[in-house]
Amino acid sequence: MENQLILDVQGLKKSFGKVQALTDVNLQLHRGEVLGFIGPNGAGKSTTIRVILGLIKESGGSATVFGEDAWKDSVKIHKNLAYVPGDVYLWPNLTGGQTIDMLLHMSGQTHTAKTDELIKEFKLDTSKKNRTYSKGNRQKIALIAAFSTDVDLYIFDEPTSGLDPLNELIFQQRVAELKDHGKSVLLSSHILSEVEKMCDTIAIIREGKVIETGSLESMQHLTRNVVAITTASPMDGLDKAKGVHQLNFKNDQHTIAEFTVDSDEIGAVMDLLTKSSIVQLKTTPPTLEDLFLRYYHSDAGQKVGE
Amino acid sequence: MAQYTQTLTLLKANLKRDWLKITIWLAALVGVFVAVAAKFEGIYGTSKQIAAIGSTLRSKAMVALIGSVPDGQLTTALIFASEMAVFWGLFIIIFNYSLAVSASCGQEESGLTEMVLGGHPVGRLAPLLAAALELLIANGLFALITGIGTMIADMPGSDTNGTWLSAVAIAAVGWAFGMIALIFAQLVADSHNVSMYNYAFLGIAYLIRMMADVSKPDYTWISPLGWLEKTEIYANNNWWPVLMLLALGILAFAAAVALNSNRDIDAGVIHVNPGSEKSHFLRGPATLLVWNQKSLTIFWIVGMAILGASYGSVFNSISKIFNTSPTIQKVLGQSGIRHIEQTQVLSFVGLLGIIFSLLAVIAGVMIVNHLITEERRGYLQMVMTKPQSRPYLLGVYVAFGLILAALLLFVALISAMAAGNVVMTHPIAFKYFWQTFVANLPSIALFMALMVGLIGVYPRLRTLVWAYLGLSFLITYFGNLMDLPKWTLKISPFYWTKKVPIDAINTTPLIWMLVIAAILIMVGFVGYKNRDLES
Repeated sequence: MENQLILDVQGLKKSFGKVQALTDVNLQLHRGEVLGFIGPNGAGKSTTIRVILGLIKESGGSATVFGEDAWKDSVKIHKNLAYVPGDVYLWPNLTGGQTIDMLLHMSGQTHTAKTDELIKEFKLDTSKKNRTYSKGNRQKIALIAAFSTDVDLYIFDEPTSGLDPLNELIFQQRVAELKDHGKSVLLSSHILSEVEKMCDTIAIIREGKVIETGSLESMQHLTRNVVAITTASPMDGLDKAKGVHQLNFKNDQHTIAEFTVDSDEIGAVMDLLTKSSIVQLKTTPPTLEDLFLRYYHSDAGQKVGE
Repeated sequence: MAQYTQTLTLLKANLKRDWLKITIWLAALVGVFVAVAAKFEGIYGTSKQIAAIGSTLRSKAMVALIGSVPDGQLTTALIFASEMAVFWGLFIIIFNYSLAVSASCGQEESGLTEMVLGGHPVGRLAPLLAAALELLIANGLFALITGIGTMIADMPGSDTNGTWLSAVAIAAVGWAFGMIALIFAQLVADSHNVSMYNYAFLGIAYLIRMMADVSKPDYTWISPLGWLEKTEIYANNNWWPVLMLLALGILAFAAAVALNSNRDIDAGVIHVNPGSEKSHFLRGPATLLVWNQKSLTIFWIVGMAILGASYGSVFNSISKIFNTSPTIQKVLGQSGIRHIEQTQVLSFVGLLGIIFSLLAVIAGVMIVNHLITEERRGYLQMVMTKPQSRPYLLGVYVAFGLILAALLLFVALISAMAAGNVVMTHPIAFKYFWQTFVANLPSIALFMALMVGLIGVYPRLRTLVWAYLGLSFLITYFGNLMDLPKWTLKISPFYWTKKVPIDAINTTPLIWMLVIAAILIMVGFVGYKNRDLES
């Protein structure tokens, strides 16, 4: 049960005319898992999701959801799936409340107490016409409808790009709640802190290709801790130590410094620093941001750690 | 003046975006106009030909359709002007509507206006003025090229003054209605509603001039569209109505400016009221479509009923035969006269059937076209990720469109019958209207099917449907007047049924049309199921 594969994307390719949007996308999402799907704008996140949703047809490889083909069996799959697009566009003449009810009805669901609770929590005025809503409010409508839909798979495509921090927090709590109930979630984002907080597994996509998949911990060995340190005596030999980068001494005595260190060399570097008697030490664990920047600042094809 | 800063830059951008559209429209509008003018002498050159067409044009039926004809001796040029003025006025107004809507609220909806106004040193009223100038340029070009072309055509009975008057007057009516469209663009926020108000206004203007023309021509002055007729091209060459149209355009633009200053971007002056917080009605694509189209549907049904009744109310004047000398009455006898009268009305009913079908096709095709609009605007991504199949979604739109088109044709014909039978001493039997209705259904199905096929396979080419519809109507309208070769007439689906209800329905071509329609619809469904959703 624990390892049941909900979503399986293998070697997915998609081209629009001559443009190759996706060249090699591999994703696996298991039951009860939250998969973060990150990459810069235009990397192919939304295109991948649109293939998974059966909105567009793959040009190569395969995408299966609940073991069914994403394109051929889309109607069957959609009975058990909720989706929130990155840009929510809604029929201008409907009110927010009508839209939520309609989206629920279309999935064979009904307006429940949970729906009301969500409307209250997101502070949405459901009596207004969709054309008068801002981007964030339209997003709230789609989110409320999705969260009050009881299905097995939830797909969010950059769902919080129009939300304020307070609503973002509600979103995070609601995703955690889904996870607690054994639901599976695919969350695409370029807001890294969001993915970092919520996701068990992360897939990084770049130029139509998934270049790294794994848990955040398993990726941290690839990156560096930021160290800020003050010592009693000068830190001799630090500039020659293995795994130390971007060293910057803050005074002439070389007793205050800031640098980054490869995660797998941190022990050896600490041993070296102890000899200079540490007065103050602050290390910051790598954020996804750092990880991300290293990937996208490196040349195409060059993988981290190589 | 700061409010208008950068108008010229915006104007250039607008022209850059719209030049192809403007070129195609102008080529069609000017091309056909001048071609008809050039060919007219060959068709209505002799006095015998002129006399024959003259009595047709002076019949109330034709006056109701295309406006009045001056009294006295007719010339080739006079016939041309009477036949074309109102008709071309309608076309150029449609052209201006399309330009005005896309340059005002269309642009605002796409977020372009917000970007331009908010982030750049552009005056707040600059987009509006740019739209007005763009229309002025388009209509100016029309007047210029049409004027020169018609001069070269040099019809007998034409004069320089009248030729330029006709070109400028048609352009002026287009511009004035375009400026009125800008007012509506301030009142409501989305282009869909603006178009609805625009065509309602045009419909009323047309109906007023029709009613006035057949009963009391002085009242034609009430309708700005009627001012076209009051120019009396080649007869008295009256320039006053042109000045009135220009004044109307300027006033309308001033009103649009005043309204624009008092509204927020992306919001109309007419406030959008809050609505219901819940819905039990909206359950899927079908109910959603009904909900979204309800006001437009009612608008169409009421409009077609009014149009039908208006035409019906002139049946008695149409039935009057001209030559009612005692000798002829004696020869024909009571029943003979009644037979001729009825034949005249029936041939008018046949013509109405085609006009009503044209409008019904527009309504039906617009419904199906909405599916693409919703796809392009991103609404469908919410529907297509629900457990509903694509064929079902397309089927809902096609069914709604077909039913609406058939209903509109029926409503218009029945209203014409009801109003007609009130004013006539000898009512026309229902069966004739029913025949007209049945005969036109395959044409409607064919146009709708073409749209469905294109939506499924190549949605970008769906303007072809409008082009084919316009061409078919022009062929039917001008076909006989212009002596076009027979095969060109057969391109138009309406050709095959234009003799109904005087003659019986010829089923063979209709069955072929239905077969082609069925194939096109199947192609559309298969294509729609297998293509990518556009984003």
